[in-house]
Amino acid sequence: MPQRRRNLINIIAATWVLLAAAGDIALNSLPLPPGSATDIAGSETQLIRILAMMAWPIFLAVVAGLVFTLWVNRVAPAAAEPGAAALRGNSRLQTTWIASSTTIVLGLAVFGTITLANDTTVPAVAHAEPNTPLEVQVIAQQWYFTYRYPSFGGFESAHLVIPADREIEFHVTSLDVTHSFWFFAAGVKADAVPVHDNSVDMQPLKIGTYRIECSELCGIWHGSMSDDNAQIVSAGDFTTWAQQQQQLDAPIMKYLPPYSHTYVPAPGVYGS
Amino acid sequence: MRLRVSFLGLALIIVGAGIALFVTLYLIKTPPAVTASTTSNSVEGLPVVNVTLTVVAAAGTGPHPNWVAYLNDNGDPSTYIHAPANSVIHMTLNQQDTPTGLRNEYFGLVRGTIGDSMKVNGKTMQAIDPTLAAHTFTIPDLGVSVPLLGVDANQQGNPPQNVVEFDFKVPGPGLYRWQCFVPCGAGTLYGNGGPMQTLGYMAGELVVS
Repeated sequence: MPQRRRNLINIIAATWVLLAAAGDIALNSLPLPPGSATDIAGSETQLIRILAMMAWPIFLAVVAGLVFTLWVNRVAPAAAEPGAAALRGNSRLQTTWIASSTTIVLGLAVFGTITLANDTTVPAVAHAEPNTPLEVQVIAQQWYFTYRYPSFGGFESAHLVIPADREIEFHVTSLDVTHSFWFFAAGVKADAVPVHDNSVDMQPLKIGTYRIECSELCGIWHGSMSDDNAQIVSAGDFTTWAQQQQQLDAPIMKYLPPYSHTYVPAPGVYGS
Repeated sequence: MRLRVSFLGLALIIVGAGIALFVTLYLIKTPPAVTASTTSNSVEGLPVVNVTLTVVAAAGTGPHPNWVAYLNDNGDPSTYIHAPANSVIHMTLNQQDTPTGLRNEYFGLVRGTIGDSMKVNGKTMQAIDPTLAAHTFTIPDLGVSVPLLGVDANQQGNPPQNVVEFDFKVPGPGLYRWQCFVPCGAGTLYGNGGPMQTLGYMAGELVVS
């Protein structure tokens, strides 16, 4: 191999190492979405971080290979074409490339599957006791989400409020068309389908105010089907809020249907 | 040949201009606005303004005379409400439609108004039987939701109506959409099409400036 070519390879390789290391250090410290407001969000963020840190050196290697190939194999416009005889394979390079690609893809598939399986395990029972999962029903309708709390008498709220450090079991359904409950900061996105119960569980970790929106095109006000006042609060604040909400809901409680994972319109209501 | 090309070019320009004009007129066309009228009253230090609308089963005018609608004083479908910032709107709704029923019973609860209540024909109420709701006046971003009691078949009056009154606070400048949560768009998917998705009928905007 000519010395000039070897020098070029060394320069590109050194640049690749430096940029790959710098990029991975940056990716390791950047606040990537969706964050760490819940356990699911944390694991999703970690998954994204790992994928990004693995993808960055590979992306750089592809760019480096492209640059090297274009630079080394360039020919003058008037030069004769090299012809088929000049083409040759490199079985060691090809084997390494295929083996490494296969290993990375299969490894990520296993890692992603395990992460997904861990994030979607739904506990079987939900009660009002603080050490058990809290069941919260998300009811979608054109064009708003409301929330029911079956373990607190089944009261309903126009805003989502959940306690930190306690497993939450969402049950998502719709009263009309298909919507999608997207609690981005929590890493939760679940379709709301009529007469269907879609469940997902997670554990809130960070107290704060968050945004919820519909992520399924559902009509003219789809873009407004959001709420910037979803809250993760302390256990004490949640109990206080639930008691206040029960008082506010008192006039309507006798009219609410018994808690159910799905609902069909009452007789007489249009569309029933 | 040249004449034919010129003619074709001219025709394309005319068609293009027509499409552009149609789109522009469609975009700038809005239902008439309802401007809140000022009063000398105040609540909690905030000036009170009045808004009055009539809710009917059929608009009787405009492009969709058979649609349910909110009408302004002139009898035109109108759901654009203009109100001053940091005020209290005293809303009077002359509800003349019959019950359809709520798909989500929770919207039978009065929320977000001053006192979390309303007056129906002078009687204070905090909720209604969801099956008797004709419509709701709901502004999701302000947390305001008021169910409108449907007119009973035997109710007296000419026309029979329930006068629904309530007050709610208006925050700073902004655009707040409002809608009805009773699926009252008869003849459309789940009753949520037609007037439910059309500004000027059962969907509206509160413009605060």
